Amino acid sequence: MTLLRHLTRTASIRLALAATALAAGLSAAAAQALPPLPKAIQAAGVLRAGVRCDQPPYGYKDESGNFAGIETDMAIQIAAWAFGAPDKIELTCVTAENRIPQLMGKKVDILLATLGVTPERARVIDFSKPYRWGGSDMLVAKDSPIRKLDDVAGKTVVMLKGSTQAKWFEDTMPKVETLRLNTASDALQALKQGRGEAYTHDAATLVVIAAKDPSLRLVGESFAVTDAAAGLRKNEPEWLTYVDAALARMKADGLYAKWVDKWVPADLRPFYADAFTKPKPTAR
Amino acid sequence: MDFDLAYLMAQGPALMRGLWLTIQVSLLSIVLSVLVGLLGAAARVMEVPVLDPAVRAYVEFIRNTPMLAQLFFIFYGLPGIGLKLSLFWSGVLCLTLWAGAYQVENLRGGLATVGKGLREASYALGLTPWRFFHLVAAPLAIRVALPAMLNTAISLLKNSSYLQAIGLAELTYVAIDRISMDFRTIEMFAAICVIYLALVLVLSFLASRLEFRLNAPFRH
Repeated sequence: MTLLRHLTRTASIRLALAATALAAGLSAAAAQALPPLPKAIQAAGVLRAGVRCDQPPYGYKDESGNFAGIETDMAIQIAAWAFGAPDKIELTCVTAENRIPQLMGKKVDILLATLGVTPERARVIDFSKPYRWGGSDMLVAKDSPIRKLDDVAGKTVVMLKGSTQAKWFEDTMPKVETLRLNTASDALQALKQGRGEAYTHDAATLVVIAAKDPSLRLVGESFAVTDAAAGLRKNEPEWLTYVDAALARMKADGLYAKWVDKWVPADLRPFYADAFTKPKPTAR
Repeated sequence: MDFDLAYLMAQGPALMRGLWLTIQVSLLSIVLSVLVGLLGAAARVMEVPVLDPAVRAYVEFIRNTPMLAQLFFIFYGLPGIGLKLSLFWSGVLCLTLWAGAYQVENLRGGLATVGKGLREASYALGLTPWRFFHLVAAPLAIRVALPAMLNTAISLLKNSSYLQAIGLAELTYVAIDRISMDFRTIEMFAAICVIYLALVLVLSFLASRLEFRLNAPFRH
């Protein structure tokens, strides 16, 4: 009896010791790999990140209303590295139209929110190094006569306020009528009700919708390809350095591939894996 | 970021287009909602069978649900049962139904001040209930109800900004759309606040003129 107790005690002590060693090792590795956390973030004790809630597989809410997706996992990973615990995170749902105001208004300290790098945005915020690229596409009804981008001339195209596509259409095809809504689900609904002949958005978002909905199809002409990066406020160089290092480590540790496997159905995985690993293609 | 007046000037034409749509949708809805209010209040005061409880249910429903939910129901819900209205008419219908419910209550309050004696006297003079309503009761009721009706009209004007959510390119839509492209938050929101304020002041001025005229019998 005593022997048994002794053995279990020794075992649990050993286990505890091993765990401590492991944790120490991990934090040592983290300290090695990542630059020091800026004081302001350190003082907050929690990472306040803006993620999308309507953009599977990058950022969305699952059936039970929990934050889900690849970029959500990226935010959680940064929190885990920064504070040693993945739950030291405060996630906020941001939309295409309010994400930059949310960042500039200090409601969040980082955007991991399908944010494309554009010169207009670069005037007001800083971007990390890109972690993937993303192109745009259009979703139309299965029997629609629209086969290529130029076919939307003289028609109404649904899009989100403040999206890369809204800017692109304004600059490139200003004569196209646009209906600009606030969320992807509003836009999809509007397309299905025939309030526009096409719905343009990030190809990554549309691929998922088209795969689920047999009444719709992708036009398949890629345009407005941009790099996606984390968004940070201007004049926070330490934080920028930290985030760049964290993103580089995610890549080095093969985490993107792991998250693509976790959040994307098998048949769609190559599309998303390419965006994180292959170089950016050229398009209009 | 400092205030960039030149930027605001450059956005002038876009803002004016938004303002024009705000004015159109609001004025039309104000007129229609007063009509809804008059008819609804008449039905309630005269206790018209079926209509009276129906109006009551309508008023309760509108007053106790968020306007944004009503708007989404009209814009995204109604097409499901075959009623697809354009952006503009979805907006007008939403604002009219919303403000109409309040106008029913405002006018009902006004009508309640029209004494039973007046009605009996009118009937004794041979007026039909309808003629009594529009010749005697309504003018008296509107005079009493006018301040409350103005409040509702002002709320309607301000609530027209909700219509940005369905993509109607009114004033607030223009501001949010430009902010999401150019990130000039302070300039744009300051501009539309000033414009809304001006609109409301104009509306109040017109209403005070109307009140003055309607009050003619009591002026010395």
